[in-house]
Amino acid sequence: MNKEEIIAIIEGLMYIVGEEGVTKEQLSQLLELLPTEVQLYLDELQTRYASEEHGIEVVNYAEIYRFVTKTHIHEYAEKLFRMNHNNTLSTAAIETLAIIAYKQPITRVEIEEIRGVGCDIMLRKLQIRNLIKELGRSDAPGKPILYGVTADFLDVFKLVSLKELPELPNYDSLADSENLFD
Amino acid sequence: MTFLVSIDKFDGPLDLMLHLIKEKELDLFDLNMDILVDQYVEYLNNMDRFHLEIASEYLAELAGLLEYKSKQLLPNSKDIEQEDDEDPKEKLVRRLIEYQKFKEISVILTQRFIDRNKQFAKTVSFEFNNADQENDLSELNGNPYDLMKAMNRCLRHVALNQPLQMRSTTSELTVEQVVNTIKDKFSNIKGSFSFIELLKNCYDINEAIITFLAVLELIKIQDVYYNIDENDEIWLKWSNVYE
Repeated sequence: MNKEEIIAIIEGLMYIVGEEGVTKEQLSQLLELLPTEVQLYLDELQTRYASEEHGIEVVNYAEIYRFVTKTHIHEYAEKLFRMNHNNTLSTAAIETLAIIAYKQPITRVEIEEIRGVGCDIMLRKLQIRNLIKELGRSDAPGKPILYGVTADFLDVFKLVSLKELPELPNYDSLADSENLFD
Repeated sequence: MTFLVSIDKFDGPLDLMLHLIKEKELDLFDLNMDILVDQYVEYLNNMDRFHLEIASEYLAELAGLLEYKSKQLLPNSKDIEQEDDEDPKEKLVRRLIEYQKFKEISVILTQRFIDRNKQFAKTVSFEFNNADQENDLSELNGNPYDLMKAMNRCLRHVALNQPLQMRSTTSELTVEQVVNTIKDKFSNIKGSFSFIELLKNCYDINEAIITFLAVLELIKIQDVYYNIDENDEIWLKWSNVYE
């Protein structure tokens, strides 16, 4: 198989799997190619769809590749359909998720210490939405549950992995203090 | 008349303090605690005057702030302070800075979340057929929260199956009817079958929910056992298979 044939197969498979997406490892297994090779083809496909002549793009969230429509299509889709906007996260939910993502594994008490409010119910809600999961228990007294974020968390915030999280701001030096509230 | 922001706007006492610091243009790194404490007290008093409920978290922080202020007023208060304790002011500043960091990150994440919600994928093009997958009984247990999580997944599935035009239908299905339908259609399956399977021809959220209630009913009367796998699939199996 030549390069174009392989890319065509990957493209076709990615269309079939839709929102479920496909991983590099799955492709490498079924195409009998090295993961590094598959990576090259995936990158190539991604670059091709990134160009402005396409309304669809290839994204990689949580190491899962899939076709999604480009964000600017959304406003036109809204004219065509009535869209449900029930997929929301409150500021409090996003703050809680941010704390967990940067500090995991972390206990409920540690999260509450940072936010200054109780988050028992919040954690339960996030768990039901599959954005966080339990990562075992801490050795601290009472053996509290440790929380961490899930692959779905990476997906909803468009991240390949946790390494992609933006760097936490650093105000620990006084020099930055003037910019704090800009 | 001063403009009063409702306390609901704040995600807790630290959020309120950061707001006050910003409003009064205080320097977080050289914090004037007197002003902060006064502002905080005034704010809560205002809330109280308008008979708004104040969450206990705000009062807990208030107690800390008042303790700090009263210590400042005592002569030679340094002698009574325990030496190994972190200075309460430093501790508060440290917490405020820490919280501010996550607030800033949340703004970035919120934007990413909004963008992600504008990207749409389509559903998978074919139905997986795992109906006869064999599970042994020992695996067939789950907890209610897993069940809720899995149901969420099914609702998403139904939402994606739904045509985008809005329709209105009146649903006259009852839980008993669905229980009977499930018994009729699926009773001959010896292995496990998935909840998604039951929703195969279901394009309506009401129907999905009634089907879920029917499954809960079947679980309650112990006609079926259930299990939730790592992909949040709900697997069901008739209990009489084991008899």
